[in-house]
Amino acid sequence: MCGIVGYLGEDPAGPIVYKGLQNLEYRGYDSAGVALVGEELTVQKRSGEVGALSVPEIPSAVCGIGHTRWSTHGPPTDENAHPHTGMTGEVAVVHNGIIENYESLRESLSDRTFTSQTDTEVIPHLLEIELEDGHDLYTALNRVVSQLEGSFAICAVHAGRNEIVATRNQSPLVLGHAKDGVFLGSDVTAFLEHTRDVTYLEDGDIAVLRPGDVHVYRDGTEIAYPIETVEWEADAAEKGGYEHFMRKEIHEQPASLRQTLSGRIDLDRGAVELDLEFPKGYLSSVEEIQFVACGTSYYASLYAARLFEEIADIRATVSIASEYTFDGGRDPWRTLTIAVTQSGETADTLGAIRRAKRAGAQTLAVTNMLGSSVSREVKNSVFIRAGPEIGVAATKTFASQVTTLALLAVYLGRERGVLSPSDARSILEDLRGLPGGVQQVLDNEASVKEAAVAYQDSDAFFFVGRRHGYPVALEGALKLKEISYDHAEGFAAGELKHGPLALVTDNTPVLAVLTDGGNIPNTVNNLVEAQTRGAPAIGAISESHEIDSLDVGFEVPDAGLFEPLIANVYFQLFAYHVANEKGRPIDKPRNLAKSVTVG
Amino acid sequence: MANQTPPAVILAAGEGRRLEPLTNRRPKPMLPVTNRPLLEYVVEAVENAGLDRIIFVVGYYEERIRNHFGDGDSWDVDIEYVTQEKQLGTAHALLQAAPLINEPFVLLNGDRIVESKLVSDVQETLETTGGPVVSVTPAENPRHYGVVELDGSATRIQSITEKPTGPIQSNLINAGVYGFDQSIFDEITQTTADSGELAITTTLTNLLVDQDVHVVQYRGQWLDVSHLWDLLTVNAALAGQRSGERSPESDKVSIAADTAIGSDVKIGPHASIGGGTAIGANATVEANAVIINSIIFPDTVIEAGAVVRDAVISENTRVGANVTIAGGDTQMVVDGTVYKDIALGGVVGDNATLGGAVTIAPGTVVGDGASIEDGAIISGHIESDAIVRRG
Repeated sequence: MCGIVGYLGEDPAGPIVYKGLQNLEYRGYDSAGVALVGEELTVQKRSGEVGALSVPEIPSAVCGIGHTRWSTHGPPTDENAHPHTGMTGEVAVVHNGIIENYESLRESLSDRTFTSQTDTEVIPHLLEIELEDGHDLYTALNRVVSQLEGSFAICAVHAGRNEIVATRNQSPLVLGHAKDGVFLGSDVTAFLEHTRDVTYLEDGDIAVLRPGDVHVYRDGTEIAYPIETVEWEADAAEKGGYEHFMRKEIHEQPASLRQTLSGRIDLDRGAVELDLEFPKGYLSSVEEIQFVACGTSYYASLYAARLFEEIADIRATVSIASEYTFDGGRDPWRTLTIAVTQSGETADTLGAIRRAKRAGAQTLAVTNMLGSSVSREVKNSVFIRAGPEIGVAATKTFASQVTTLALLAVYLGRERGVLSPSDARSILEDLRGLPGGVQQVLDNEASVKEAAVAYQDSDAFFFVGRRHGYPVALEGALKLKEISYDHAEGFAAGELKHGPLALVTDNTPVLAVLTDGGNIPNTVNNLVEAQTRGAPAIGAISESHEIDSLDVGFEVPDAGLFEPLIANVYFQLFAYHVANEKGRPIDKPRNLAKSVTVG
Repeated sequence: MANQTPPAVILAAGEGRRLEPLTNRRPKPMLPVTNRPLLEYVVEAVENAGLDRIIFVVGYYEERIRNHFGDGDSWDVDIEYVTQEKQLGTAHALLQAAPLINEPFVLLNGDRIVESKLVSDVQETLETTGGPVVSVTPAENPRHYGVVELDGSATRIQSITEKPTGPIQSNLINAGVYGFDQSIFDEITQTTADSGELAITTTLTNLLVDQDVHVVQYRGQWLDVSHLWDLLTVNAALAGQRSGERSPESDKVSIAADTAIGSDVKIGPHASIGGGTAIGANATVEANAVIINSIIFPDTVIEAGAVVRDAVISENTRVGANVTIAGGDTQMVVDGTVYKDIALGGVVGDNATLGGAVTIAPGTVVGDGASIEDGAIISGHIESDAIVRRG
């Protein structure tokens, strides 16, 4: 899991590549480096965050590549940082992904000296050998790629010539076309402040960047590459005066939810408009929806599965992507497998959706990233339109995922003829109420902060909920543990007494989702069991209820099935403020990276 | 870089208590007119004057401002933020920006709409004189503002008197756009707080003792929102400057030309949107509703058959079916002052609910989170979170 950047243009490449790396830091940040092209290559790299890297000032160097790393092979050391060079220093390479056959390649290069423990280093050595044989850099890369197995996005440069060659296989790589130069990036965030005109490379494509022109080759033949326009504003990926992206992104939720819903709701017909193409009659014939996802997306899927069963009257199952197999007892043709992944690059989820495809199931992706690998793996994608999310802890994308999946459930319910226009309308009105409901919670941030300050030093935090509140309890606990490093766990409220209650003390607050439809009285009973052991009780409660026994209560506005989604915003703020009080690096928690592209 | 333009400091930390309940959850500069915050008009005036570096002094509900403006890229300006933790007056607010400034600068209020000409005039005078520069504009009711007297040459300030009670010699008021160099920060630190607040005008009065304060006279658009009803006036004035940007989705809906309609607004059949109206993003107007000369904030729902006239309905509020806000002139009392012939149908705060067929008398102010049950007839001031049942 890494981020790569390349630039070739009219301006000094050093600062541009450095800024690109900062933009991509969410993809990994345990080491970073750049290579600038001149008569000789200048390589600067080290372990640590991008901020620790000092980029040499070479105004004449207008071509460069850079890398920000999240370790998979070899610990984060200066030597293991990219770019990697071979023996001559003529070639520098940055790489995202895993070269699976690097050990055998390395054995075949036993006469050469290796300086790192990475899988990547075989690439510059192989390129050097090809160049020594008289091939140009494009041909060299073409010949080297045929020897590589695994997933990779690669950019390579060569001393003495302003030229970058790049290719990808199952790892993301995007070209950006600006007025004064051409960019390469693991995603568009790398160069969004320079251009919104991009080309998403396909697996096996080789791009050759030279001053003034760009060539893309597929199977050895040059192709006319399409240019698409990205709709995001560059400043949406910047911090906008917030001290952390996470808090910025929490506060963006009303706007991002409006964007998620925009143009998709037809209240007059009680219908949802999504651009989906399935064979005629297919959606009516489906017998099971399978969700495959990881982390926060998995919890969004748990929430969605209940919605699909209630709204679209269809069996829905959820698998952690790395655990997923297409098991027996189901007809692939009547199974729709939905991959839920923010980045669209999550390796486990990509693997699962490929297994579903192999089994013959129809597939669909719900993702935030246009042109991402998952959207090319499946025929139909629905975009959650949350805008770029930089904080490693997912916040606004969870809200937009659940909202998008709810739209999909209504769509399916109407297509299958099991949901009346008036029932659909009432769900859609609740969805349209979400931005306002979330804003109401955000306006209440001061009281959440107060609770976070009061309870920050607790030994552990337990989150409980029922029905739709259950996945939100799991998500609330994940958020807290991710960024505060505190022990936090989520449980189905009814399960508390079947074991976890043994962990409850007077120093373990229990946070509960107490929303309509989630059997409030029973959950309150579970809370009382914890309070009897001295645990403080904190609840997010539907505004139509009053519960006096709680230590802290937060009001959740009316939103039907989506009240737990609004309650979740309290948990996001709670996690943020606990972590902030403890001075944690909230946007980049230790050991975690934003989109996990290794399995 | 040669010929660099001065930075602009914009004060946007204030709460605007006189505009409650609308300012209970947002700072005054973020109140929307024609669906854009007041502050956005100020930023545009600054940008159109060719200034590209802006420093916002924020405080009260600052997230709203940071969310909307980000780093300023959408306006082609660079925006930096400084936080005023406690709202201790305009001079105190300006002082917070001192660490970011080492050159002459322009100072503006974030809640006054002015034209870019005023900003560039102040900038020019600042460059030629070195400052300090104060701008003035004629007003119909100067007593509500800082009244400015000029010297005989009409190029320098003689005196500034905040909200004078005695006889006044001038109809010129402080237009709130200034040009200063860094010496102002020393002056501020030597200014004595007046009832707990450090005001720019107090500092200026001290300056007048031994310094020339230069003046820029301005006669362009100068819009101030002092009271709730001003929001409607300003909204209508600015909506009138737009030429119908949006045609109705269907011929079953009637929308006047001087309206502003946000994205993803749903308008039901036979609804009628009259002139001087703004409807915020993601709002819903159901069938047969009539909205005239009103501001509807984002995410609000106006149910079927409601009549909303001369009213401000804040965010995420539900106006029930057949609610009547009839509008018309009324008398308002604010802080002991009586204002007559005010066209204000009513104001409803954020997250409130008006039940079916509620009737609202002109001038009613409903607090945020209040719930007015079906059929109630209300007038006067309804507290936040109050529940009103039919009597």
